[in-house]
Amino acid sequence: MIDNGLLVQMLLGALLGLSVYLPLAAGQLSLATPAFYAVGGTLAALLSTRWSGLGATADGGFPVPSLLLELVLGGLLAGLLALLVGRLVLRLQGIYLAIATIALVEIVRVAILNLPFTGGAVGIFAIPQPFHDASGYLLPALALLALAGWICQRLEGMPLGRAMAAIRGDELAARCLGIDTTRVKLTAFVLSAVLAGSTGALAAHFLNTWNARQGSFDASITTLAFVVLGGSRTWLGPVMGGLLLTALPELLRPVGNVRLVLFGLVILLGPVLAPQGLITPALLERLGGWNPRGSAEGRQEAQP
Amino acid sequence: MTTAPPPSTVISPSDLRRRGALRLAALLAAGIGALAWLGRNTDPAAKPLAAGPISLGAAIAFTGNANLYGQDQRMGLAVAERWAQQSGTPARPVRLQLEDGASDEPSAIAAFNLLIRQGVIALIGPTLSQQAFAADPIAQRQGVPVVAPSNTAKGIPEIGHFISRVSAQSSVIAPLSLDEALRRDPAIKRVAVFYAQDDAYSTAETAIFQKALAARGLPPVTVQRTQLADNDFQTPITSALQLKPQLVVLSVQAVAGGNLIRQLRELGYRGQIVVGNGLNTPNIYPICQRWCDGILIAQAYSPELNTPINRRFQQLFRQAHGDRPPPQITAQAFTAYQVLFEAIQRLQRKGGLSGVTLGQARANLMAELLSGTYDTPLGPIGFSPAGEVLQDRFYVAEVRMDPGGRDGRFALVRERRLQESTP
Repeated sequence: MIDNGLLVQMLLGALLGLSVYLPLAAGQLSLATPAFYAVGGTLAALLSTRWSGLGATADGGFPVPSLLLELVLGGLLAGLLALLVGRLVLRLQGIYLAIATIALVEIVRVAILNLPFTGGAVGIFAIPQPFHDASGYLLPALALLALAGWICQRLEGMPLGRAMAAIRGDELAARCLGIDTTRVKLTAFVLSAVLAGSTGALAAHFLNTWNARQGSFDASITTLAFVVLGGSRTWLGPVMGGLLLTALPELLRPVGNVRLVLFGLVILLGPVLAPQGLITPALLERLGGWNPRGSAEGRQEAQP
Repeated sequence: MTTAPPPSTVISPSDLRRRGALRLAALLAAGIGALAWLGRNTDPAAKPLAAGPISLGAAIAFTGNANLYGQDQRMGLAVAERWAQQSGTPARPVRLQLEDGASDEPSAIAAFNLLIRQGVIALIGPTLSQQAFAADPIAQRQGVPVVAPSNTAKGIPEIGHFISRVSAQSSVIAPLSLDEALRRDPAIKRVAVFYAQDDAYSTAETAIFQKALAARGLPPVTVQRTQLADNDFQTPITSALQLKPQLVVLSVQAVAGGNLIRQLRELGYRGQIVVGNGLNTPNIYPICQRWCDGILIAQAYSPELNTPINRRFQQLFRQAHGDRPPPQITAQAFTAYQVLFEAIQRLQRKGGLSGVTLGQARANLMAELLSGTYDTPLGPIGFSPAGEVLQDRFYVAEVRMDPGGRDGRFALVRERRLQESTP
């Protein structure tokens, strides 16, 4: 049984999965998502607890427009950081890029741990709440996911998305075709950071507290697992992966102590049984062509 | 020659994919909507309190890096259940529901939500203070009493009316062991401090140690920062030992602490070692073995306290876990269960649990919990109106290892009564 609190966590997982997916759609294995998530979350935690201009009340309430402002600001700050860092690290490829982005995650974590105003290891707590209970977070999380999904879907038909696909296919060939590969890769990286930053801002309020542990190397691997299990070829893959893998440890509670063993087994068997991930382009094609009245009829109907 | 169908009669694969994606997205959206509808009402607080056994929830760490403490807590809760069963027919039977709160914030939130939804009257947990800052506000908003067995950070009871703890803040206990070290060697002038800088508990505790050192005119000659996951401390130890410390003060978690002590001794440090609450578990013995011998620690619990309830606790513990003294964290978990159990019995006799909704029963229980005093294995304790534990007996212990160096015990060296926090 899934309560709304868990559902919000699942949606946050799906958002982080999409954030890992975006650079991957341009062929870049970036593990920097938790760094941007941490930046967004820290900004939201600081703003809502230290800046009375946002309207936090004494009894822990918080106006919803201020939350939306934080989502925007969190995304912007993370995007700005990605713009600065991306120019440097996107010269690297493959495993080297992955290592550089892991370093970024570590740098951000250690910085948050040691900055004088982020509360050290305890972090920032008593973050004011815009909603009375977890159900309130469903709407902003769903809206953010719908927006991100819409952008990803639109990308497939846009020149930017096609350029990303071309770079994923063969970066050298794409450059020979006249695609400004640096720019395209950087755009994908920044989009991913904006998404992670906004997600972090939302998560900070949802979690009530924020500390340096939220954006760790472990989170890099978890979010990458969302994409690997869900499938990296379509945006629905990481969404599905994020939803399922976040829910699974909770759904497995009835089995008791071995639940994490089973969870590990799923992560292990997923790529073995479905090497392309759960959601593949072929699956989407079958689903698109599927018609309860027979596929031939469906094709006829679709004629202009 | 075959005639290819005109392009307009076939949908291109990319269009098919798009249509498939939209269908799947719509399906997902519908699924999420359905789940949101089904899961909308999570708290049975408005329902009348069911007759029969009352359920108590515990969310503690069985997995993740805090599980070393979680295992100790689980033993404490199991012993407490047996104690409750064997101490006569209760006015109201109590059933304990255990959930894994893991070692991260989202899991603690999920475990709290799950237990609250299942209709528990009160919660025990979570294991780490950082988790408490995430999960306790949820219990507070829904009006569910929480007794924290091991959260020692500043600001936990301040989360709200429904949040209390039986684990004394480190600021109260930590300095006592320093006094013992200074009593043994008044000539100490040079103190080295180590702490894990990425750990909430260690950074809070080292601040207290350093403040206490400064108050005794002993500013540390060096403060070495380590990381929670470190196992190799050669570099910080070498740089600290160059300054010839006469006392080393550690605030780290159990596994790292065991390794740090061992490496300190192996690298030639012979002076006294004072450690914080993170090493307050026998689980360190196998790690630092004979090198653990002689370290000083201040404790909120002593196995050597000679009271009926502590003897009973020890007896039940030894029945289940062999001939060894129970650790502090186990005693604190036992105490968390005990105070809730006793408050429930008192409330039942007063009639505060009949003809009320679950929500009212929770509020009544919180008021009853805070108003009582309890004779526990930790000694007599009570609560301040804010939910902070009031405990007046603390202990300084010294680790004494067996000749083989495989096992040891915390030997009581001094009992201290702090007058300002008398219940």
